[in-house]
Amino acid sequence: MFQNNREGLALALPAALFTAILFLLPVGLLLSEAFKIGGQWSLQGYVDFASKPLNQTVFLRTLKLGFLVALTSAIIGYACAFCIVNLDGKNRGRVFGLVVLPLMISPVARTYAWIVILGRTGIVNDAILALGLSDTPIRILFTETAVFLGLLQLFLPLMIISLVSALENLPKDVIPAARVLGASWIQVFTKIILPLTKDGLVMGGTLVFTGSLTAYITPAILGGSKVLMLETLLYQRVNVANDFVSAGIIATILITMSFGANLLLKRIAKARS
Amino acid sequence: MKLLLAMTTALGLVTGAAHAQDKTITISVYSFGMDAMKAAIFDPFEEVCDCEVVVETGNSVERMAKIEANAANPVVDMAVMSSHDALALARKGLLQSMDVSQIPSHADLYESAKDPIGDHLAIGYGFYATSIVYRSDLVEINSWADLLSDELKGRVALPNITGTQGPLTLLMLGKAMGTDEITFSDTIDAVGEHADDIVTFYNRSSELAQLMMQEEVIAAPVGRFAWSRFSGAALPFKWAEPEEGQAGGMNVMLMTKGNGNEELTYQFIDYWLSTEVQTRIAELKLDSPANAKVVVSDEIAESLTYGADLINSLTTLDSGAIIDNRDAWLDRWNEKVVN
Repeated sequence: MFQNNREGLALALPAALFTAILFLLPVGLLLSEAFKIGGQWSLQGYVDFASKPLNQTVFLRTLKLGFLVALTSAIIGYACAFCIVNLDGKNRGRVFGLVVLPLMISPVARTYAWIVILGRTGIVNDAILALGLSDTPIRILFTETAVFLGLLQLFLPLMIISLVSALENLPKDVIPAARVLGASWIQVFTKIILPLTKDGLVMGGTLVFTGSLTAYITPAILGGSKVLMLETLLYQRVNVANDFVSAGIIATILITMSFGANLLLKRIAKARS
Repeated sequence: MKLLLAMTTALGLVTGAAHAQDKTITISVYSFGMDAMKAAIFDPFEEVCDCEVVVETGNSVERMAKIEANAANPVVDMAVMSSHDALALARKGLLQSMDVSQIPSHADLYESAKDPIGDHLAIGYGFYATSIVYRSDLVEINSWADLLSDELKGRVALPNITGTQGPLTLLMLGKAMGTDEITFSDTIDAVGEHADDIVTFYNRSSELAQLMMQEEVIAAPVGRFAWSRFSGAALPFKWAEPEEGQAGGMNVMLMTKGNGNEELTYQFIDYWLSTEVQTRIAELKLDSPANAKVVVSDEIAESLTYGADLINSLTTLDSGAIIDNRDAWLDRWNEKVVN
């Protein structure tokens, strides 16, 4: 495309410099603090961090919720994406627009809406009482369920968008062909759709999982101080305890988890093909 | 000629601006009610002193970290903090002992506000009481122990231990349980046993107000400074007067060591503590006065922590005890309550 490599490099240089100076360097500096104790390089901070029961609970909870949100959004996402790609042009645009719409609304507003919906006097509890499922309103706010629902609603569109673009590239006749040859719907999904859309799933899964790991507002509002996640713990360490070492350790763990998830999903996708 | 005139005028403007900025005081304050504080204190003071008031805000940890980071060459001349945060800075040698003869209004303060952490390293400028706000149509609160009663199961919120109200709540819960142990171990364990019955541990009074308006929570300890959020609401909220009494605390002013701007700082502190300004602040319900000469109407007093009788009756936590014990409190809290 270019006369020589230099032109390409020259064009990439501003963006590369921008990223290096304003992103990689500060992140590197911040994270390097997490590997130092009293000016000396050390991993002791991680050992101390991992030895505290609260940190273990918070780490496992963050991992668990990230995984559950990614898994649930994949299940719902496939169903939605499948419906969307099977619609005719006009309706497809409309429905797809509805999926994208929440992304244009601030996460704060979307999360606050859940406070009203999940509260004692919210519609969920009204329905539970009306259906006679319970005599008293159920407490959903400030539980893992509330954080799970908030994160799911926040990131599901990203999964649907990824899967829609993957399903659009799926040859139209492979599913009827498989059905004609006697494959069940489960076989069609596992042997045809899943392998052919795995790139979209990996992309969506990474976005949803890393998004859930690093989201702050939703766990802070719907989980509060009772359902601490790594990111709310990070905030607490910085803003309450002025403890930048622990904060750096948490940030390192979060970045490692995000990269790890991406690598793992890519590897699983590769192994299946 | 025209050009020369224009240049001279421009030069005059520049030097004029530079002259006004010659006298500058940098203060570090809570961000709570900033617009009202600016109108009530900072803007009028600028006129009095013919100087510029540069305001820095943020949460306490941030503001303390900034003062510490700039210790060699202080940026902030004067700050307002909780008395224990001030003591923490004092212990690090970051504060200057104040010459109260430079602050005429000092003589008008309540006794407990005059020298709260010793050596005149801080001066109290506002008190707050802490008690329980509750829905009087649904429940009655007579004791701090009621917070953990079966009646309030699943309908009560407590302040987080990381804030100022958290330790005060533990102090009063301990008092109701018959323990005055400053380690709070029995009290934290008791809260831990009831953790599932507590809706949340709130961090900001605005957060609590929302939960109470939404009827998610019907009782919670809160600072009196937040009472106006509840008193004007449509729901019947009441301020409890528990048999163990109310807790309370004080916010203080301090001067950073070696800021080189002492004269103006004394002038500003004196202005803020003056009867005139303290009355104005009280009437706006921004802070409860530490100046004993302030007289306000009953209606205003109702929203504040006002009057010698009330102030002297408050159960307070020693600033030193807070600093010495809070890491241990937090560890136990994390282990027993939120884990």
